Amino acid sequence: MTEVWARAALWLGLALVATLLSIRLRVATALSEIVVGTVAQLLIGVFAGTALLGATDSWVTFLSGTGAILLTFLAGAELDPVIFRTKWKESLGIGFVSFLVPFLGCAAFAYLVLHWTPRASWLTGVAMSTTSVAVVYAVMLELGLNSTDFGKALLAACFVTDLGTVLALGLIFAPFTLRTLAFAATGAVAVVVLPWLTPRFFRSFGGRPSELEAKFLLLILFGLGALATWADSEAVLPAYLVGMVLAGTVGKDHALVRRLRTVTFGLLTPFYFIRAGSFVSVPSLVAAPASVLGLLAAKLIAKSIGVWPAARLFRYPRTEAAYTTLLMSTGLTFGSISALFGLTHQIITQTQYSILIATVIGSAVVPTLVANAFFIPRYLLPQASPEQPGSADAALEGGSHS
Amino acid sequence: MTQQSDSGREPAMLPKRILVGFDGSPFAERAFEVALNLAAVSDSKLAVVAVATLPEPPGSVETKATIEAATEHYEATFEMLRRRAEDRHLTLETRILVGHPAEQIIRLAAETHVDLVVVGDRGRSRIREWVFGSVSRRVVNHAPCSVLVVRNR
Repeated sequence: MTEVWARAALWLGLALVATLLSIRLRVATALSEIVVGTVAQLLIGVFAGTALLGATDSWVTFLSGTGAILLTFLAGAELDPVIFRTKWKESLGIGFVSFLVPFLGCAAFAYLVLHWTPRASWLTGVAMSTTSVAVVYAVMLELGLNSTDFGKALLAACFVTDLGTVLALGLIFAPFTLRTLAFAATGAVAVVVLPWLTPRFFRSFGGRPSELEAKFLLLILFGLGALATWADSEAVLPAYLVGMVLAGTVGKDHALVRRLRTVTFGLLTPFYFIRAGSFVSVPSLVAAPASVLGLLAAKLIAKSIGVWPAARLFRYPRTEAAYTTLLMSTGLTFGSISALFGLTHQIITQTQYSILIATVIGSAVVPTLVANAFFIPRYLLPQASPEQPGSADAALEGGSHS
Repeated sequence: MTQQSDSGREPAMLPKRILVGFDGSPFAERAFEVALNLAAVSDSKLAVVAVATLPEPPGSVETKATIEAATEHYEATFEMLRRRAEDRHLTLETRILVGHPAEQIIRLAAETHVDLVVVGDRGRSRIREWVFGSVSRRVVNHAPCSVLVVRNR
């Protein structure tokens, strides 16, 4: 066990370095962990050999996979079902198109321009189709748009897009056998039963120090994850679906969500993101920067072709439509999950994986900068009118806004 | 409310609405103390705003966690500030916003028509200021009203 403990200490040391860097540089912890993983693998590879990090050890793979499952579950549980119900038409329309066009467009780019294999090209389409709910949510909050109809519809649309990404990842590479049918049937039953069963079960037996809630959720996620991989699908698919259907119950239990976050961010996701970073080949990136830029451009153009007309169809003004388009071009978590799935299932090579990860990171940063610099629909920003003398008091007395 | 200036030539306006940018640091504490004194003598409305800064790019799940942690922290701090204001017979309004501190302070100042924004100066080195920017400098440059920067000396 000495080797395992020593290696665990090394990984947690890297996680600590990544966290300190993210605090000092004010960047997302996930991004910092990916970069630390890449640099650590490079340096350790030079000085002590690439085997030292043990990124393919079974226990590292388990912790990393559990991190992806829990992160995906928590991401799904952030959905606001009330908003989705009120804005379902716009959300479904924009969200679906926002998934489909980049999926097809980026897959075509990878196949026709980069000359990747059909399976690698489909995976590229999946990785590029995602939208970062976190980026959109943060920008909505910063601009105070989260309470507008526009902001609510856009946030709900992001969940639809990511659902498309997760469904595509879970089903495109599945062989469609009886196992797939069994997985789909069990998943459908779980999606119907869990929202009814979970709150009742927690009310009867939960609220104790023995953390029954966490054990129950992990049982469901591991069980459905096992079924998914047995059917040659992906474990994050049921995790995201379960998160979404439990958003109205588990998602509202802030204490439980916080406890799950502690174990997720404190132990599990560092293994996931550092491991994802450790598989990136820097020499491959240096040799093919045009592929990264090309894919990034393909994603932005495909999102524009898909989302802009859809936004205009729902009568969004031009600036608003352009802003929506750019925000929906962002993506980090599901893009990296898709890329790692492709690498570990031998769908893509390490070079292709490195290009995808670099593009995913670029897609999280570049569209936000462009959107905020040129396309903020300023007329949507809350403004106090001089004709409304009470408005200043109302704003001052508005309490927390978060 | 107006007050005769020292020169005795023209009246100096006292602020009716004061907004303090607060980040929990000793510099912000000092800025709040100055604003409290000013509000007490001028009988002004006093508001405090804290801003939860998100990492870039905001990460999945981490974003909400950051906002919740910041909200919890600032609400506890605001309770202490509120008691200090009550000791001076003042009512304190509080807000917690999300985003870049300078942008959010400026936006709230414009929305609520405040007459004066009070911020602390962290006294950062030139290199740190170049890398991370200075909240007080941005507020001074872009606020729609007067700005008082309370220096740490």
